[in-house]
Amino acid sequence: MEQGQNKQGQVMRGADAVIKVLTDHGVTNIFGYPGGAIMPIYDALYGAPVEHLLSRHEQGAAFAAVGYARASGKTGVCFATSGPGATNLVTSLADALLDSVPVVAITGQVSTAVIGTDAFQEVDMLGMSFSCTKHSFMVTDMDELVPTLYKAFEIAASGRPGPVLVDIPKDIQIGLLEYKTPVQARVEAPILDANKIDAALILLTQAKQPMLYVGGGVGMASAVEPLRQFIKITGVPSVATLKGLGAIENDTSGYLGMLGMHGSKAANIAVQECDLLIVVGARFDDRVTGRLASFAEHAKVIHLDIDAAELGKLRLPEVAIDCDLNQILPALSIPLQITSWQEEVAQLKDEHQWQYDRPGELIFAPAMLKMLADKLPEDSVVCCDVGQHQMWVAQHMWFRKPEDHLSSAGLGTMGFGLPAAIGAKVSRPDATVVAVSGDGSFMMNVQELTTIKRRQLPVKILLIDNQKLGMVKQWQQLFFEERYSETDLSDNPDFVTLASAFDIPGCTITKTEEVEQALHYLINCEGPYLLHVRIDEAHNVWPLVPPGASNRDMMEEMDKST
Amino acid sequence: MIHTVNLMLDQRPEVLERVLRVVRHRGFNITKMNMQLEGAKHVSVVMTVESKRTIELLTKQLSKLVDVIECSALAH
Repeated sequence: MEQGQNKQGQVMRGADAVIKVLTDHGVTNIFGYPGGAIMPIYDALYGAPVEHLLSRHEQGAAFAAVGYARASGKTGVCFATSGPGATNLVTSLADALLDSVPVVAITGQVSTAVIGTDAFQEVDMLGMSFSCTKHSFMVTDMDELVPTLYKAFEIAASGRPGPVLVDIPKDIQIGLLEYKTPVQARVEAPILDANKIDAALILLTQAKQPMLYVGGGVGMASAVEPLRQFIKITGVPSVATLKGLGAIENDTSGYLGMLGMHGSKAANIAVQECDLLIVVGARFDDRVTGRLASFAEHAKVIHLDIDAAELGKLRLPEVAIDCDLNQILPALSIPLQITSWQEEVAQLKDEHQWQYDRPGELIFAPAMLKMLADKLPEDSVVCCDVGQHQMWVAQHMWFRKPEDHLSSAGLGTMGFGLPAAIGAKVSRPDATVVAVSGDGSFMMNVQELTTIKRRQLPVKILLIDNQKLGMVKQWQQLFFEERYSETDLSDNPDFVTLASAFDIPGCTITKTEEVEQALHYLINCEGPYLLHVRIDEAHNVWPLVPPGASNRDMMEEMDKST
Repeated sequence: MIHTVNLMLDQRPEVLERVLRVVRHRGFNITKMNMQLEGAKHVSVVMTVESKRTIELLTKQLSKLVDVIECSALAH
């Protein structure tokens, strides 16, 4: 800060101003990949007091920024050059948009004089950014560079967080400006509407069978503690979305785990039977609701979210409050008389426990993941890819807080896990960081093994391999008459040999009796490690709400082991 | 349902494009539109939109855009 004040009014290159804005915002780590149109910024980075981690694909850099942000609550920053560098960010930005992750992406652009002439590595990144960012800018005026970057950080982290892209033409990076810290307008905190709180309190006290449906907004709002207090005081039974996992302590009375397509049967039944649904930082996603018209069809709804556009988007609530959850939840925390409902929910929980006693010597992934969760130290982050393993992690692992579980929820992006784990390890260097992946997803950003090698980042990789694109294959089996179109991955590489090419040691296990020792080694060995686990391809994710069905109609396990 | 949407926007080269994308993506058709500069810094837009969806779905999404200063809608 002192250094920042000393530089007030100093004349510098735009590129140097970019780095100064970052350091003034407390940014210590950047993820990126250089190229022609961003070279002045990389030149300014040389020797600057900020650490840059070179990815091997811009998608990996942006996912690392996402992982960094999600594991720490800080804003992630990534750099890419113009054209292909910038377009490679698009998937990760879309992922950050759907999961409300604060990221600032800075892209180089061709010089303003040649924008619109189809110059080398020119793409209209501003135009491309509209549908994959919360907001975006292209800077065409030297004097606007610093204020724009300040706005980008403000927008990324405020309200409902999201990714912001700043496209900076090369001449703006090279040109000179006089650095002045912009005076920022104070963002007014939203005001809590007392009438709405009263209306919500009436619904709460009238309810005989209330359920709490908790989403990712709780973690994003740093409202985990007020949420836990709300549960403690009201005694209301609860369920969580994929992004809400970790907000509620696993052993909380009346907590039934995840709801939705692959949720627990108890969670889905309880939500279907409730007469009041209290929705906190969640958005009625179709993977949560099943057939929307029959989701919690007898329930009144109290919907709490910072984003007013989510209120009434898919389900009309009786009471909707768009405000900071830290203000709302304490105002709604009153004791409720719901003993018989609590008993009913406890019975549901008891009746629908997960079963781990699988006969045979082949490894049962749900049991292995449960064991992993039980073995992980207190400070741990689990990053998933997308598919069957991701749902098994959500069902069978447990988390102490939302930022300990990074899963591509809204976009469902294969290739998320490995780079997100890199970002998580950078932001929480003392944490044990495990990337749980599948043999399909792992190959989608496998080049980031080099990024691990470069820093010898002790990221632990648990690769669950069924030689199939498992979730697609499961749907082909159940809903497409077993026509297995392009889901066979039996020509996978030798993953342990592959890892060894990046100086990452590893081993393969195939039998249940090997699991405990292998997990112990994975967690406790020094440095990065890849544990390759072969599982039975016949194992699917259960239970399952078929597409278009009500959450009441879950399909039960029907696996036949090979 | 047919509605008239009134918008006041920050004047930026891309602002109209940004608004139009949201209108299309959220399931609304524009049947009539007028825009004009309001001084150097603002633009007003009046558009008639048609959709089976409720107009609040659109006005709430438009209001979220950083460059949208005011957004209101009237039913025909």
